[in-house]
Amino acid sequence: MITSRGDTPVVDVDGLVKRFGTFTAVDGLDLRVQPGSVHGFLGPNGAGKSTTIRVLLGLYRATAGRVSVLGLDPARHADQVTRRLSYVPGEVTLWPNLTGQEVLDALAGLRGCRDEAAERELAGAFALDTRRKVRTYSKGNRQKVVLVAALAAPTELLVLDEPTSGLDPLMEELFQRCVRDAAAAGRTVLLSSHILAEVEDVCDTVTIIKDGRLVESGRLADMRHLAASTVTARPAGHQLAAVTDRLLRLGVAPERTDGLLRVSVPRTAVPAVLGALAEAGADDITCTPARLEDLFLRHYEVAAR
Amino acid sequence: MTLTRLLVRRHRLTLTCWLLLLTGLSGGTVTAYQNTYATEQQREAAAALARDNAATTMMYGRLPVPGTPAQMYVWEIGAFTTVLAAVMAVLVAVSLTRAAEDDGTLELLRGCGIAPARPLRSALWVLAGCAVVLGAGCTVAAGVHTGSVDGVTGAGAAAYGTAVALTFLLFAALTVLLSQIAPAAGQARLLGFTVVGLSFAVRAFADTQQIGWLTWFSPLGLRATVEPFTSDRWTAALLPVAAAALTATAAVLLSQRREFGAGLLPRRDRRTARLRLGSTVALTARLNRASLLTWTVAVAAIGTVFAAMGSGAVDRERDGEVGGFLGAQLNGADPAAAFLSYCGTVVGIIVCVYAVLSVSQSRHAERRGLTDMVLATGVRRWVPLAAQSAVTAAGCAVVLLVTGVLSALVAPAVIAGDDVAVRAFGYIAGQWGAVVAMTGCTALIAGTAPRWTALAWLPLTAAAGLALLGDLLGVPQRVQDLGIFPHVPDLALADASPAGLLLLVGIGAALCLTGLWGMARRDLIIG
Repeated sequence: MITSRGDTPVVDVDGLVKRFGTFTAVDGLDLRVQPGSVHGFLGPNGAGKSTTIRVLLGLYRATAGRVSVLGLDPARHADQVTRRLSYVPGEVTLWPNLTGQEVLDALAGLRGCRDEAAERELAGAFALDTRRKVRTYSKGNRQKVVLVAALAAPTELLVLDEPTSGLDPLMEELFQRCVRDAAAAGRTVLLSSHILAEVEDVCDTVTIIKDGRLVESGRLADMRHLAASTVTARPAGHQLAAVTDRLLRLGVAPERTDGLLRVSVPRTAVPAVLGALAEAGADDITCTPARLEDLFLRHYEVAAR
Repeated sequence: MTLTRLLVRRHRLTLTCWLLLLTGLSGGTVTAYQNTYATEQQREAAAALARDNAATTMMYGRLPVPGTPAQMYVWEIGAFTTVLAAVMAVLVAVSLTRAAEDDGTLELLRGCGIAPARPLRSALWVLAGCAVVLGAGCTVAAGVHTGSVDGVTGAGAAAYGTAVALTFLLFAALTVLLSQIAPAAGQARLLGFTVVGLSFAVRAFADTQQIGWLTWFSPLGLRATVEPFTSDRWTAALLPVAAAALTATAAVLLSQRREFGAGLLPRRDRRTARLRLGSTVALTARLNRASLLTWTVAVAAIGTVFAAMGSGAVDRERDGEVGGFLGAQLNGADPAAAFLSYCGTVVGIIVCVYAVLSVSQSRHAERRGLTDMVLATGVRRWVPLAAQSAVTAAGCAVVLLVTGVLSALVAPAVIAGDDVAVRAFGYIAGQWGAVVAMTGCTALIAGTAPRWTALAWLPLTAAAGLALLGDLLGVPQRVQDLGIFPHVPDLALADASPAGLLLLVGIGAALCLTGLWGMARRDLIIG
């Protein structure tokens, strides 16, 4: 685990277990989110992300393990914890007979503190007509109402459970900007998602879970480092055998299709492989750096076994 | 034709239930009017009493001379069947037209190459068909008693069936017209029921003030204009047929001038109102405002009419005539006091239904994730349920107070007796204890065993059964006293003790606190 500033973590979970009857939704999960960081919380559907988040909010009680949010135990001090955080649920339900503005008023009124100027600005940026009744809102618009409330509230921690599932690409971009701004302002963000691309651009660190268990946790940069790049090249016909030999000696196994070589190369071996291909005068040399997506999908598959 | 068949297929259960209810009500009650009065004199005396009674005239209209069993049947049962036919017309007409637009099913059909005008035309055909079936059903249901019940004739039965069918047809056409204007299905229904209420008011006003010509202007006055079993005036049926045809034509014309899914009146989904609140109680009160208002108006109207209806029963009880269900209820020293107590019990039961529904809202909010949203703003775990319970108890107090005050104003005018106003108010307002107990009971289940919240209906059903049927079934008094309804102090008595009422409030509070304790100790359960 990386402690970037040496502060105590905002979210500190140790060996969390949550059972519903005989079903174990979360099984020995560790999760640490450092202050001021944007932490991705990744996993396929049904991995236990929302359950974990509901434990963090004090909506569920942990079966076992130690949970601390903002230095407090949410099971005992749920109100004090939640007053200092903003929450966007995965499935947004609101009171259908209130307008968007009235929902914002109600949520801020209950919290007891608000930044109305920020609310207005965000509602404008998200192109949300807050005078309309919630019943006329699409899923995306309901999500915007809660996002505006969460981002505008003067809180230290943002807990976002798949917050962009109903937003269009433009709004998703705006959302990412808002998350970066929040982090820049010193707020901490826990962003859950089952889509890596959504998290990749904004998160410093990620935790990947599957079936309630921790799969991998750490800096995105480090994870990328472990993954392999893909190199392709088209050597001249008579050199094909020689090049293949050389690559095999470098410790990588090229595949050949219609004269095109494709080879998966560990990050450390990329310069040597590219050098060998260039020396042989191969055409169409490409090198694609490791896609986190591949790593991520690999984890999904491995964990599924 | 395909679309018409599809509409019938989709709504066949509702339509069948309504038609069975109305024909069953029409057919099953005829013989009762033959058997109630042993002799001609008794019946004529009862008929004379009914003609002089303002309350029954208001409810049922004017009883024709001489008051044969057939005439009494149309006068009393006809009042129910026509009002029910009107309610059926509003509900069915909206579900055939606007509701299908709002829920998106019609959109699907319109995307299948159906002409824009066809859905409405099909709906009108289905409604006309319903009217025919309803009329035929009521005619047969009443007509089979020809010969066995005095005054029943084939022609009279046909006139009765026609009156019910035309009532349905008129309200159906009116509702279809209103559906073109109303911004959404809900408002269309509300407008339709308002027209039913207005028609009833016009009919009641015309009958109590004896303004004969005004009856012609109320669709619910058809029994008075067609006069089944009296003059069987068929010409009076022409006017409503023409009116229904005109209204339906107007609806078709209007339908061409509006957008799909929107009425001629713009939908008011946009408003600039703000919510200035700082507590969960305030939010809960705001969210329950509309339903509380509806319940207050409905319970106050029903309770007051019910109290006003009692004059006849109280008079007859004084003469020792009332038997059966009502007689068991009025079995007391002072018939007026007994009747008012009975009214209070009925109002208490209705308000308890509201209490159970209202507290159950907290469970619905939890299941839909709304409680998550509230708790995530730093609200304590037990507060939403506490707020819902408090708002429910306070709201029920409002309903009971309004109903009590209205009854106290109306009852003395129609019921003779001592301290009628005080008792009318006291017996209704005093049911607050029972309501608080029921609120606490529901809160207990919602707090500790949320999945079983529906079980709150059990104690209510048991208590209502004990209160309404206990005497009739000969249940011992100490068992009856276990119910929550018979503990209202009689305000007219000098030594009236509020102990029972206070005990109920105490029990309700204790149950509610236990529920809150359970709420604070368990997981929230969504879905």
